[in-house]
Amino acid sequence: MKRIIEHPVLGRLEEAREVHIRVDGETIPAREGEMIAAALLANGKSVFRYTNKRHEARGIYCGIGRCTDCVMIVNGVPNVRTCVTPVEEGMVIETQQGIGHWGQEGEDGTD
Amino acid sequence: MDQKEKQNNDKDRLICRCEEITLGEIEQAIAEGCTTLNEVKRRTRAGMGLCQSRTCSKLIARIIAEKTGKPLSEVMPVTSRPPARPVKMDVFRSGDCDEKDN
Amino acid sequence: MVRTEIAVIGAGPAGLSAAIECARAGAKVTLIDENAKPGGQLFKQIHKFFGSREHRAGIRGIRIGEQLLKEAQELNIDVWLNAEVCGIYRNSELWVVLNHTESRLVKADAIIIATGATENAVSFDGWSLPGVMGAGAAQTMINLHRVLPGDRILMIGSGNVGVIVSYQLLQAGADVAAIVEAAPRLGGYGVHTAKVRRAGVPFYTSHTVLEARGTDHVESAVIVELNDSWQPVSGTEKEFTVDTICIAAGLTPLTELAAGAGCQTCFIPTLGGHVPMHDEKMRTSIDTIFVAGDIAGVEEASTAMEEGRLAGIHAAAALGYYKPSEEQRLSAEVWQRLGVLRSGPFGQKRLDAKKDILNARRTISEKVQ
Repeated sequence: MKRIIEHPVLGRLEEAREVHIRVDGETIPAREGEMIAAALLANGKSVFRYTNKRHEARGIYCGIGRCTDCVMIVNGVPNVRTCVTPVEEGMVIETQQGIGHWGQEGEDGTD
Repeated sequence: MDQKEKQNNDKDRLICRCEEITLGEIEQAIAEGCTTLNEVKRRTRAGMGLCQSRTCSKLIARIIAEKTGKPLSEVMPVTSRPPARPVKMDVFRSGDCDEKDN
Repeated sequence: MVRTEIAVIGAGPAGLSAAIECARAGAKVTLIDENAKPGGQLFKQIHKFFGSREHRAGIRGIRIGEQLLKEAQELNIDVWLNAEVCGIYRNSELWVVLNHTESRLVKADAIIIATGATENAVSFDGWSLPGVMGAGAAQTMINLHRVLPGDRILMIGSGNVGVIVSYQLLQAGADVAAIVEAAPRLGGYGVHTAKVRRAGVPFYTSHTVLEARGTDHVESAVIVELNDSWQPVSGTEKEFTVDTICIAAGLTPLTELAAGAGCQTCFIPTLGGHVPMHDEKMRTSIDTIFVAGDIAGVEEASTAMEEGRLAGIHAAAALGYYKPSEEQRLSAEVWQRLGVLRSGPFGQKRLDAKKDILNARRTISEKVQ
């Protein structure tokens, strides 16, 4: 998993402002406006959630927001499709367990 | 791995990814009398997940066709009803919802 | 409630082309798409399309997408993005949800459904592991997002999508370990297949994937040979060290809205399964609802654009924007081009399949009479 900087047809990857997102507590760099899933894959992370029944790892499957395999908890909201949701500076992303939970870690009155 | 072991393993294979329904569960539903995608869905929850059978529909259709002898042309997709996309309850308090308002 | 004349659902090549035709005719058109950007799957098609110059042959999908967008902008077409059509009521009303938060009702005199198709699944042990994905998903990642989802890929399916995406994965810097095809013969256009072969990618016909192995991610894939009855032959298993398995097993029309609205469907395996019946005007069994593009049968972006044009012309004509003679003339031109696109050994099958759809639609008209 890595970024494609030079491409024979698409040319050189354009410069983009760097933003920072927090993924399971770790701050990682991302390109402004890119999809969360792309940022995670570019940083070597391919497991986005664990399923409800069998606690099995899932990542991207359809890549265009139709299959919902890639969902994670984003800014406290579960079931967010990361392949069609762009990153934002300071976004908090958590690996979703099962159907997920509302609110971020440490918040009161949730779960 | 022998045939029997392989068959058992096959039963455990996921068909509905969203709800984690296995081939075995779907075959069981068919054995118990389900012959349509709607019936398999109601019995097993296959197709009730976030993607609303988009991924598993054709897979289950093929299993139904194999097990029941029905031609694929007669295995219809699950009944489609609004909303065609997941909608948060909040949406019902917003914008245009009621014809009277217009 | 928002009032429009023609509502087009889906801003891919078919929807964009339909909206452009409607606008050219002078009709008020609203183009609605659930994604953040229009273009459907066009913007990940970095390869050059086939066909004649009329069909923009030799032009990459991305450029065609840009041209369509420019035309749409020049015509000031009202485009709603991040707008999900959740239902169609009374053959003329759309329930739309904007940005997942706000409801809108849209009343239209005609509706054109151009919602495209979705990739088919192939189930095998381990297929839910991260690293197993649709070929389209890999294509989106590499061409749109400029990220490689893996370094070493096994491609399942040798049809056009399989060989085109394999080639694009190579262009993106990945290795393609093999292309696996269940049938005894390869399925894609010669040109694309040859490019991938020349690049050294091995093809395994009469083989299928048996298993994806790995803990939280694909670490290897096992394929097996199939006999004449399409059953796995014990002892022919081959394991490949790969981190990605792409599935290119065809597409299925996304008919949820059309079927939900009550459009009758027919079963056409060549074009993806259950498709809404339509006539030569791309009109479904419901007078006010038209279809165009992959939803009307999976073909290509070029046919999608032509069908979009057809739907646009006839929807606009139905609302009085064209005299019958003008409608006829414009329509005949498009049908001529469609005939060219559906010619040759690959095209013939699609042509026959489309004829089946037209016949099915004709049969229900006759029944009513």
